[in-house]
This record gives sequence, structure tokens and C-alpha cells, in this order.
Amino acid sequence: MGCEKFEFLISGLLDGELDAAEEQLLKEHLLVCDKCRRKHEELLRLKEVTDSVRFKDLPEEFWAGYWKSIYRRIERGLGWILLSVGAVILIAFGFYEFLSQFFADPEVSLLVKIGVGALGLGIIILLVSITRERIFAYRRDRYREVQR
Amino acid sequence: MSEVSSRTDEELALQAKGGEMRAFEVLVEKYKRHAYFIAYGFVGNREAALDLSQEAFVRAYKAIHRYKPDFKFFTWFYKILSNLCISHLEKRRVRRKYEVSLEEVPFELATSKLDPATIYEQKELKKKLWEGLSNLPPDFKEIIILRHFRGFSYKEISEILQIPIGSVMSRLYYARMKLKEELKDLI
Repeated sequence: MGCEKFEFLISGLLDGELDAAEEQLLKEHLLVCDKCRRKHEELLRLKEVTDSVRFKDLPEEFWAGYWKSIYRRIERGLGWILLSVGAVILIAFGFYEFLSQFFADPEVSLLVKIGVGALGLGIIILLVSITRERIFAYRRDRYREVQR
Repeated sequence: MSEVSSRTDEELALQAKGGEMRAFEVLVEKYKRHAYFIAYGFVGNREAALDLSQEAFVRAYKAIHRYKPDFKFFTWFYKILSNLCISHLEKRRVRRKYEVSLEEVPFELATSKLDPATIYEQKELKKKLWEGLSNLPPDFKEIIILRHFRGFSYKEISEILQIPIGSVMSRLYYARMKLKEELKDLI
């Protein structure tokens, strides 16, 4: 076994993650290899340093309100969805009413009606196409959880 | 709540998938500290860590319909959390060599039984350690946080990062060597 394999085992020894055979093998190697013994001592010192500190904790009131804050965010998200759905329905209804009256109006010339109809149809086709493309891309996006 | 909390994480996640909010609350209560401290380790800022850890839970809830019990809940959740933290760092462009003031260091001493001279030394050490940790590549930084600061076993890290136990050992070795290099004045 080369020194590289023993070097990895040094990490395992420091963390108490080696089985008895691996530990024995490494300890025997450390007795005869100065390089690995030095690395073991250095990493042991590093472990002492990292063990001497911990991340600062939050005051207890933050932990007490942690779930409530998440719940509020989830609730707010639902609120935005309902608001958007409501707005889309009302806007669509408004357009429908406007277009029905517009096309039923005998004073508006046929040419203008064809122009407005083509414009409306074009907008609908474009919106459907873009939406379909976005849905297609979203379903295949492996990194959709990543905040961009 | 006690009936809910006796279920496994995967059962709770499936209950949450079925619309049971209380099951998700139990998962949040169980993992909130891990989530916060892992985010803290990534970004080193209390407010950002709190926000990112909570946002990760919100995203997990929104995406719970895609959760499959083949994965442990925390493994699945960790991916969302770490991606959020890495994106945050990239956006803020703080993955650079930098120095921090003593007040900005997110560490505290693990023991309070120290004399003033040692406390001063420890303050400097905390600062250097945080700077060293901040300068590590994300995969080294995360494995140091998981092992040293959250105390996960190799088996748990292997499940969280979805790598073999041998790779946990070797990655930890390289991460520690890199950190040791960053702290060459101290070690």
C-alpha cells in the first residue's frame, strides 16, 4: 500500500471512522514513515483548532419563530398564486367583453374588425408558444432548484 | 404532534407530499439547526444564513411533489440548500480571497474556561480559521462544515453528498490539507 492510501486513512483515524484492521495497519505505518507521521501530527493540530470553536448560535427567539416565518412565506406564495389567477381571469373576461361588443358593433368597419381579430389571434398564438416553450424547458431543467 | 413526530423522515415527507403541513413542520423542526449552520458555514452571515435556510425549506415544500422516498429527506433537502447557498455566493461574488474583521467572524469559542491571553490568541485563530475556510473551494468547504461543525459521520456525509465513504475520507483529507495550507502560520 502506497503512502497516498495511508494519508486518506489518517483522516479516518482522526475521526474515529476506521475499522480495527485499518487502524492497526495505519498505526504500524506511522511508526516507520516520517512523512505520514508528520502529516498525522499536523492534521491532529488542525482538528484541535477546529474543535476549539463552533458557529455562533442564534438567540432562542429566532428558533421559536423559525417555523412561523417559513409558514408565512409559504402562505404568501399561495396568496400570490391566487392573486395572479384572479387577475388573469378578470383580464381575460374584460378582453372577452370588449371584443364581443367590438365585433358586434355595426358601426366598426369589417377591415378594422379583421385587423383587430388578426392582431388578437397573433398575440394568443405567441403567448401559447412561449408558455409551451417555458414549460418544456422547465421540465428538462436539472438545475431548477438553483436560484439564478 | 407526537403521533406525527414518531414517523421516519421519509414517511413525513410523503405525508407532506399528501398535503399534511404538520408533517412538514416536524421535518423543519428536526433539521432547522443543521440547515441554518450549514448555510452559516457557506455564507458566514447570520441574516443571510437565516434567510437562505428558511428559503430552502420553502422551496422544498413547493417541490415536495417531486420528492421520491428512494432518497433520504435530508439528502434531497441538502441539495436545495447547498445550491441556494452557492448561488448566493456567486451572486454576491464573495468567493474571493478576503479578510474579515474580528466582529464579522461567525465562530465562538467552544469553551469559556480560558485565561485572557489564550482568549486573545483564540480570537486571532478564529479569524484566521474563518478566512481559511472561506477561501476553500465549495466542495472542500462543505465537507469540512458537515464533518467538523455539524458532526455528521462518514456514512451520513456519504448519503448527504451521494458519494462513496472512501471518497468522503479522501475528500476530507484533501480539504484538511488545503485548510492547513491556508493556516500555515498557525499550524
